[in-house]
Formats: sequence, structure tokens, C-alpha cells
Amino acid sequence: MKRAYVVALTILLVVASGAVALGQSPKKPAAAGEDVAGTVAILDHVWLDAAHNHDGETAAWLFADNFVEIHPGGFLVTKQQQVDMIANTQLGELAIQSSDIQVRYASPDVAVLTDTTTIRGKQGETNYDGQYRVMRVFAKVQGRWRAAGAGIARITTAQ
Amino acid sequence: MRPIHVGALALILSFAPLAFSQTKSATAPAAAQDWKALDHKWLDSERTGDLNYLEKFFADSYVLVLANGQSYTKKEWLGILKGPDRPTLQVLDPENIQVHVFGNVAILTDHTTIKGHDSKGKSMDGEFNAFRVVIKKNGAWQATGVVMNPDLSKK
Repeated sequence: MKRAYVVALTILLVVASGAVALGQSPKKPAAAGEDVAGTVAILDHVWLDAAHNHDGETAAWLFADNFVEIHPGGFLVTKQQQVDMIANTQLGELAIQSSDIQVRYASPDVAVLTDTTTIRGKQGETNYDGQYRVMRVFAKVQGRWRAAGAGIARITTAQ
Repeated sequence: MRPIHVGALALILSFAPLAFSQTKSATAPAAAQDWKALDHKWLDSERTGDLNYLEKFFADSYVLVLANGQSYTKKEWLGILKGPDRPTLQVLDPENIQVHVFGNVAILTDHTTIKGHDSKGKSMDGEFNAFRVVIKKNGAWQATGVVMNPDLSKK
């Protein structure tokens, strides 16, 4: 099931790379021949869906080997640690939704975007309820877009 | 102008480490990039107010996310550093700098110690873990984003 999802996702992204520009209006100009902004906006949702669905296989497919993430509280995790957390069904369910996705930088092989992610739920003893400012970095590695890393800060002040 | 918070100081601090390298431009060495020097120069420039350097070093896409989730664009952040609400930073020191390079983008993580106060005298002292993103454009590395987080392991 998950393998089929990854295959379908790969096809979708290949198509999206060339065709998303026709139907969407990313906030940054696309690199020549490819709608980078549209592609990474899709990957942003894929990332959150994988986290929500405990889909470690998709997360492993998406994350670059050298992936790094800083969680709220300043905890650094590697690709393997993050994939293991996502795949761990013993942890509680989280409702995750992103909004205000802004592609801050897009080039033929790099994209940086920010979003506001709303999380509801607990995992273990940690209550994640709240809104977070998230910076996600994507890089094209060996011809395929990968998630390179993310930094997450809990929003504690009125914006 | 929005008030500066501890998170903002943390970001400033993250820019300060570059000062150690004393480079006048943001252009990186052609061969092996000295990431520690870049990080120190960055934070030192924020600490000392080297706005000429920061103007070049920050990409137009630069965005700063403080530990409280407040975000600033390049224009907004440099405006604070130039203005009357500029914080006073005695210490802006990155340690344990680690780099993850993906071609034309690199992610630096570090532990940043901030000692200082905002324009109203409120302490900005704190320990932070920083997520810094630099991109390579026209052969030079430029900062395009930072996310600060309080280091709760130090509490």
C-alpha cells in the first residue's frame, strides 16, 4: 500500500514538475523548465501527510540521507530518528495542517519555504497542541527533490 | 516597529560568529568552505552591527524566525538592527557548529549563547539551538533563513 503510494507520488511529482505551473500560481517565479515552487508545495503536504499517517516509508523516500530537523525545544534529529518517530504507531495521533505556505527561495536545485503548521494532539508525554512556524528546505539530489531539513519554532506571540 | 524579543537576539547572535574570519565580502573561499568561520562572521556582524556585511550576506529571500515564532524579512530585520530598537548584545556565540551540505544549499546547526538586552533593558540572555540555511548564488554563500529554538535541555 505504502509502496504503491510512493510510486504514485513519484509519478505525480514528475508530472507536477512540468505541469503544476499551468494550474497554480506559486509566489515565486519558477526555474526554467520546472515549476520548483509548485513541486515543493506538493512535497510540503506529502511530508505532513507522512507524519500524520505514521508513514515511515514515504518519509524515508522523501528525506535526504543527510537530513536534519530541529524540533521545538531545540532537539536535533537525524533522518533515521525522524523516520523512526514518524513510523512509531505507539506514539499518539497528531492532527497536522499547514497553511500560509510561502516559497521564499527557488532555484533549479534548491527551494526554501515557510509555513504555519497547526498541530493537535499528544505523543507520549509531549503535548504538541499549538501553532508552529516552520522552515523547510528542499534540495535536488541526484535528480530528485528531497527534503533536506526543517526548523520548527512554536508560535507564542501574536503575529 | 515590533519589539525585539529574546528570540531575535538569538538570531542576531547566530549572525555574529562570522566576525572571526574578518572577511569583507560574503564570498566564500572557492575550495573548502570554512563553515565555522562563516557562522562566526555572521553572528559577529549582527552583534557589532556590521550592516554593510549583513546587507550583502543576507539573500533577498532571507527570513528570520525567532524562538517565539515571530518572523522577520531581510528588510524588517535590518531595519531593526539599524534602528532605535536595536538590541545590545554582549555575547552572541555559536558552538557545536555542524553542517549538512546539499550542493547549492547548506544547513548549519549550532548552539548559540546570547547575553544582552533589548532596547528597553529587558534581558535577552538565553541558550538556543539554531537552524541556519545558506544558499550558493553566483559563487557566494548567502544566508536565506534562520529558525531559533530555546535549548530546553539547558533549563
